[in-house]
Parts: sequence; C-alpha cells; structure tokens
Amino acid sequence: MKRTVLIIMLLVFAFMLDAQIIHRGFVRTYLGTLTEQDGEYSVLQNTFDWKLDYGKGDVALFVNPVFDYNALNNNLDISLRQAYMDIYFDNFDLRIGKQQIIWGKADGVFITDIISPRDLSEFILPDFEEIRIGINAVKFDYYLGNSTFEAVWIPTFQPAVAPRKGSIWYINMLDFMMPIVYDYHNYDVGNKLSESEIALKYSYLGSAIDFELMAAYMWDDNPAMHIFPQPDTTLLIKTEYHRLPLAGASFSKAVEGAIVRGEGAYYFEKRFAADDFTVNGIREKDYAHYLIGYDHNWFGVNVSFQFIQEYILDYENDIRNDEFSNTMTFLVMEDFLRETLRLEFFTYYGINNKDALLRPKITYDFTDGFEVQLGANIFIGEEGNFGQYNENDMIYLKLKLSF
Amino acid sequence: MRKFIVILMVVLIMTATLTAEEITGLQIIESVYNRPTGQDQEGDLTMTLINSRGDERVREIKQFLKDFGDMEKKIMFFLSPADVRNTSFMNWSYDEVGKDDDQWIYLPALKKVKRISSDSKSDYFMGSDFTYDDLGDRHPSSDSHIILREETVDGEDCYVVESIPKEEEYMYSRTITWIVKDKWIGKKKEFYDEDDDLLKTLTVKEVEKIKNYLIITYSEMHNVQKDHKTTMILKNIAIDTGISDNKFTERMMKRGM
Repeated sequence: MKRTVLIIMLLVFAFMLDAQIIHRGFVRTYLGTLTEQDGEYSVLQNTFDWKLDYGKGDVALFVNPVFDYNALNNNLDISLRQAYMDIYFDNFDLRIGKQQIIWGKADGVFITDIISPRDLSEFILPDFEEIRIGINAVKFDYYLGNSTFEAVWIPTFQPAVAPRKGSIWYINMLDFMMPIVYDYHNYDVGNKLSESEIALKYSYLGSAIDFELMAAYMWDDNPAMHIFPQPDTTLLIKTEYHRLPLAGASFSKAVEGAIVRGEGAYYFEKRFAADDFTVNGIREKDYAHYLIGYDHNWFGVNVSFQFIQEYILDYENDIRNDEFSNTMTFLVMEDFLRETLRLEFFTYYGINNKDALLRPKITYDFTDGFEVQLGANIFIGEEGNFGQYNENDMIYLKLKLSF
Repeated sequence: MRKFIVILMVVLIMTATLTAEEITGLQIIESVYNRPTGQDQEGDLTMTLINSRGDERVREIKQFLKDFGDMEKKIMFFLSPADVRNTSFMNWSYDEVGKDDDQWIYLPALKKVKRISSDSKSDYFMGSDFTYDDLGDRHPSSDSHIILREETVDGEDCYVVESIPKEEEYMYSRTITWIVKDKWIGKKKEFYDEDDDLLKTLTVKEVEKIKNYLIITYSEMHNVQKDHKTTMILKNIAIDTGISDNKFTERMMKRGM
C-alpha cells in the first residue's frame, strides 16, 4: 500500500513538473506457453516501464517505475527499478539512490558483475535490465583522461531473488529423506554501517585496449544452508548470508577486426554445499570464475563465442559442485530489411552435464518503436543448470511499443 | 644546329611546366581529404529513410567531432526513434594508413560501453543507404585515382575522378566523384557494385560556408537498384567552439549530451 501511495505521489510530482521532465519507456505484452505441458501459459504479463528524466544544471534525477500486471494470477506489481540523483562536477560525479550497476566485459555471464544482485524468479530468461535488481547505493566516479576510478558504497545488503516455491523455476536443493526444521535467526543481514558493502573499480578505455580492475567486499547474494542433524532424526537448517570478498579484472581488445574479451574474478572463502554433515553441509573454498570471448562480424553476421570456467580450489569430493565447471555460449545475429528484421540465436552449453539452453528469436519492427518478437527457450539435457528445466521449454510472443 | 637546340630547350621547358601544373587524381582526392573543416564541430543530424513507396522513417542524432592531429574523434547520441534513444556511439579514426578505427557503443539497456568490431564498414548505418565507410573519411591511399574528364555541374567546373580500391574484397568495385575545382568539395558520387553496375548515387544538395569552412549540410544517397533513398540534413552547426577533449570519453557516452 505504501509503495502504491509513493508511486502515485511520484506521478503527481511528474505531472507538476511535466514541462521539464523527459518521459520515455515502453508498454509490453508478453505471452509465454510451455510446449511440454499441453500449452499451459507460463507468462501472461503486461508491463508499463516508465522512465522519467529531469535535469537542472549539474543535477539530474532519474526515476524508473515499473507496473507489471500478471494476468495469470490477476496481480499488479508496482516497483521502482531505479530512482537516483546524479550530481556532476568537473572531474567527478556522484550517483545516489536506487540504481543498477553493471561491471565487466562478459555477455550474459556474471563474473565481476556482482554489484547489482539478480532477480532469478524466472531463471535468466527476462532481459538483463529486468534481471538486475536496483540497489541503494552511493556511486562515486572520478575521471582522469581515459581512466575512471569508481567507488560504490552499498549501505544495506540486497540479496538475490530466488524462484518462489511452486514456480516452475523452483529447484529444491535440500532433497533429504529426514524432516527439516528451518532456523532463520541469522538469516537477515543487519542494517548497520558495519554490514555495508564496498566495491572499487579502475577502468581504462583507449585505443590499444579497454580494461577494468576491481575489488569488492560484498555479501554472497545467495544464503548458505548450514545443516545440523538433530538427535530426533530431524535436520535443522540454518540459513545464513556470508561475506564474500573478491578481486577481478576484465579486458576487451580489437584484434584483426575482431574483438577479444576476457574476464576473471577470484572469490575468497565462498560457501559451497557439501554432503558431509560433520562440516554442517558447507565447505569454505576459494573459487575462481573466468571467461574468454571472441566477437566477429562475418559478411554482416555478428558471431560471438565465450568459454567460461569455474574452478573450486583445494577441492574436496563431497562438494556438490564440480571442481571444474565449463560452459560455452554462442551468439549469432543478423539484421535484414534495413534493420527492421533481426534474427538472433543465443545458446548456453554446459559441458559438464551436456545440457543447454537454446534461445532463438525473431524481432520485427512494424514501425519505428513498435516491435513484435517471437522466440523460444529450449532446455536440453537431464541435469545441470539448464537440463534441470527440461520440462520448461517455452515459446513466447512479445509486443512492445517504445515511446 | 643551334636553332634546333633552342627549340628543344623550349619544348622541354614547356613540357616541364605543363607537368608541374597538371594535377593528378590522387592530388584531387587528397585535396578533398585535407580540406579544412575546423578543429571541432557539432550539429544535429537528421536522416530520413525513404522507400520506393515513399514511406519515411526518421533518425535523429546529435553529433560532436574533434580533430586531435593524428586522429579524429566522433561521438553520436541517438535521439530517435524511441527504442534507440540514449544509445551512443563513439569512433576514433586515425591518419595512420592501415590503422583500423576504434569503435564503442553504449546501449542503455545493458548499461555498459562495449567495444565493437570496426570490421563491419560495409554494414549500413541505422538501416540507411549510407554504410559506415560512406560516412567516414576514406584515406586517399586506399584507392587508385584517375581523372576521367572535366565537366560542369550546376554551373560549377568539376573534375571527374574514378577511384578503384586497392583492396580486392572492398564492397565497391569503383566510385566516380565529381569534385568542384578550387573548392575541393564533392558534388556527386557514384558507387558501383562488384559486378560494376551502378549501385548508389550520392548527391550534395546544399553546402554552407560556416566560419570560412565549406560544410555539406544536405545530401541524398539513392540506391538505384532498390530505389531507396536516404537524405541527410545537418543543422545547428557550430564550428571551432572549443569542444572539450572530455566529450569523447566513456563518461559522456553513458551520461549523454
């Protein structure tokens, strides 16, 4: 209710200042149906994504309310994806408020891009702008030539959003025979200065190369499940978020007309689920996550490959994740009819489990700003990140009017 | 004998003088390439795409460019259509022969500046009839140039120069350019496809003198094979206003104009 009142106040404010505010955004109808489930609708959603810009001198305001109407459960969800203020100085900028912060050079893979947590309630299928959750933060950027020093302070922790129980994307990670009792006493991270997150980045953009160096003292966006077997044969599970320090780098460079990209991060003492109850089902291990990518345009067709590897150092056999997890992505995209028709095919392929997510789509602009998109999400395999959703193959239609 | 030597000397001197005055195709194209257009420039660019039925699609761009001596930097902010608003594109091109341009694009939905391949110069810019290469300054040494003839177009004396690319795989087999004498500005240009058929014609419709620089403010590219046209109009031009070097940075790509 409070949120609705806030949004209404915002609208009134917007209309009061109408002459000076720039409105943009889109209206979208999105219909998705599961091909393996007799055509059951998985998505029937209408979205009004409204972006308002206001600027005066060296101060600017940006507000992005989003109205999502879900026709399957007759629910209207109103949210503020972003709402922040920019203050511009000669050599530095400040951005204060709820904001999405994107780092790194990878496409569709999150390695150093860990500042904004993800909303995975529909797995990774929504557009990335909709997956990333805006965080309350203060961002400071200092510019020196082609270099940028960025510091981010996040006073309150915002976790990732997991699929809700009952959703087709929900995966039960705790498949035990014994009855489970949950303890949420340590679940919440306190709203205090000592619990805040800090991230630093140096980036350079130049003729020879673009690169970023980063370090961050974060919380792991996903909680660890500490398992305590009880004398009465139940399992007590304490869910708890843990600190996750990390350091990483990324680069992008033109080589013979192509673009070579790389990104890597080293995470210190990340918690992994394990089978050994003597360590309460959790092992702390350093972890490396890295990628190499290649983009090229062959005869007007954009092609992109990425190879991604995750490595758990000092590995122990009871850890549920593999010591090495290898994934590849492949993108091919071409525009036709003067960029009014676009064919795109994006694939994730999990090498360890031989599973994949295939995402073909075709987009046609009927007029400038009005597009129709027809696509599919096809899951292949029996297990792994993608194979576990083998029953969730989907075709969808999106109509989108931008203004 | 003495008379013969005198005549020979006169002929030699006349020949030498004539050769010195005779301009080559390369010199003409170099003069066009080197024609001063100011240290920096900004303007509002409107591209109108017109298909064979006369339907129009409009693209509006705010652009800034600056000469840094051995390189030129350009940044474009897309204003319309609505679905590309706040996208920006930056290009750094170099005088050094053979050095590829550096290009970046900022897509507001992705919220990051992405380096893109400059190897797609034959791609059409925003669905228009101009390729990325048509919009850039092609280095004179990339082609072999010969003067075909001299002609008068709209009352202006022009050199007609044929340019044949040295690169075998180039998208055009040759181009023919009408260049106004002494002004060193193109009046018209024909582009021939790989079968040597006429593909496109570029017509310069308006040229304005701004701060003593000749600037093309209205041009039209006509794809004669598909009967599709793109007009390009440049307005609100400001030259040598001292655009800051900082305009051509990642910061500005993200922030916008």
